[in-house]
Amino acid sequence: MISFSPRRARIARCLAIAALTSLGASTQAAAATQEEIESRLQALAAQVQVLRDELAALKAQNAATAARAAAPVNAASMTAPAAAVAAEERKSVDWFGYGELNYQRPTDDSSGSTADVGRFVLGASYRFDDRTRLVSELEIEHAIASSEDAGEIEVEQAWLEREINGSTFAKLGLFLIPSGMLNESHEPTRYYGVFRNFVETAIIPSTWRELGVALQGTTTSGVRWDVGLTTGNDLSKWDAGSTEGIESPLGSIHQEGQLARAGDLSGFVAANYTGIPGLGLGASLVGGDISQGQPGFDNNKLALWEAHARWTPGAWDLSALYAHGHISNTASVNLRLVGNPVLIPENFYGWYAQAAYVAELPNAWTLAPFARFERVNTASSYAFIGAGLTPSALDAQDVTTVGFNLNIAPGVVVKLDYQSFNRNSGSDRIDVGLGYAF
Amino acid sequence: MNTTDHGFLTQAALVAVAVLPAAPAAATTYLSTDAAQRSLFPQAQSFEETPIALDDAQRQAVARIAGPQAGHGALHLWTARNDRNVLGYVFIDEVIGRQDFITYAVGIDTNGKLRPVEILEYRESHGGEIRNKRWLAQFDGRASPKELRFGTDIKNIAGATLSSEHVTAGVRRIFAIWQSLFATPGAPRTEVRGAMIEAAPAKAPTRT
Repeated sequence: MISFSPRRARIARCLAIAALTSLGASTQAAAATQEEIESRLQALAAQVQVLRDELAALKAQNAATAARAAAPVNAASMTAPAAAVAAEERKSVDWFGYGELNYQRPTDDSSGSTADVGRFVLGASYRFDDRTRLVSELEIEHAIASSEDAGEIEVEQAWLEREINGSTFAKLGLFLIPSGMLNESHEPTRYYGVFRNFVETAIIPSTWRELGVALQGTTTSGVRWDVGLTTGNDLSKWDAGSTEGIESPLGSIHQEGQLARAGDLSGFVAANYTGIPGLGLGASLVGGDISQGQPGFDNNKLALWEAHARWTPGAWDLSALYAHGHISNTASVNLRLVGNPVLIPENFYGWYAQAAYVAELPNAWTLAPFARFERVNTASSYAFIGAGLTPSALDAQDVTTVGFNLNIAPGVVVKLDYQSFNRNSGSDRIDVGLGYAF
Repeated sequence: MNTTDHGFLTQAALVAVAVLPAAPAAATTYLSTDAAQRSLFPQAQSFEETPIALDDAQRQAVARIAGPQAGHGALHLWTARNDRNVLGYVFIDEVIGRQDFITYAVGIDTNGKLRPVEILEYRESHGGEIRNKRWLAQFDGRASPKELRFGTDIKNIAGATLSSEHVTAGVRRIFAIWQSLFATPGAPRTEVRGAMIEAAPAKAPTRT
């Protein structure tokens, strides 16, 4: 049945005109042969078929439009009007987060095995206007934080980002220092192995953040540059009776935005080049006075520099990093600490080289077996404070890690590795981890 | 702190005070929609907005071919024409980079080959490296979603992994949509009639 809608009326008119035209033609063809008549009838049938198809298509389209009008708007439907509506309804607050859960088992002594919710992080970003945004992260380490527990609750990031122009941004607040490859990209899905590498925890104290102001820019040729002025470390926090300073010299004197002594500030510069697809080269220098005007500390300057490279030919993911730290004028401080087990080193360094092969599996899984060799020395030299008093430099610790990352969904990784320590083979262990980031 | 530090601090503060409020509230657009269209198909005389509608089967096929995706915003399609000839198609899409949307344009010619991807807007400091021309040129000439594997075909950008991965996946999705609309067996490649036409006109991407 033909309805009264304008479209269908047009179709009806077309059918009528086609029929009349054909009728007229057949009248004129009274003297024509039977063959000609049949040929014209076939042409007429073809014309009618075209119009019927068009009518059927229109009917289907009307039905589909009606169904969509009745259905709720869904951005996933990928129809253009729905997408436009989704853009209008976009929320300003974005939630994100990541977590690390791990199990480690020393190969020689299973009584030292532990299972831990290493990190549980929730973050939120909020856009105030087109150029101004807040980025924040709240982190719980080791599951529970109380006076009787080992855990910590930390504001890991809380900074405002202001776009100055299309390629330059200002940062204000508590933000991550652009040192090394891991510090700014520290989610468990972004690195190989259950635990973060030793160089970028013991030498570069990730997650390293400071309060301050910074500028960051990128160019279309692939250069990113960073420069900043921030709070720095506080050498007066050095605890010569604890092994913390041996585990991570800078990690033991960081301030993390907690009533940070800010009489002396630090600065950083960093440059990264990613102009050739698959290649990343970068270097940074962080430094400043870390004596913070405290009694007994004078002109103690920190300089931490690092250089790194990453290359991803084919399915390979190859990377290397070297980091070196230096603290000046430690002799006078160490003289007062003589007799304690851990004095302040003058130099410390670490480097690693890592190779991974990212194999694609069905269902968009990836399996990345990897191997990493690291050499870390958290006290490679001490300032001379007199024969018999100057501590001996530590031997370098070599760590070899082999294992794999298995990504079972975007943002979900299962990890397994074995770590071997040259200085203390009793520490050799198997690690199992689950990580996620969203 | 010594006097040199004070001098540096003062200068830094002055620069901050001078620069920050001077910036207008609107974010930078690297390329307008018009400029992106012209850049992708310079010979085209017109760009006709072409609504996108996929049926359930097509949607499932797109999801299967495109693989895992980050969040997307608005997606728009234009047909590039020169006289009556179709030269190709321009898609403009929004995809989450690290935390905010990246707006990018993808051109596909009538032979099913990609043009270099264009970035129209990038809104966060982290991951701005994605504007690198050589990285975007990796998409040029790709003729199938299978040639858009992240890491092997399209390289990771160190320090901008999420942005580069999400845009690569987004281009794969656009290619799959293009295939559903214009390259399905039996469907004419150069006619928009291959798609089911939406009644309402699409709106140009806007920021919120």
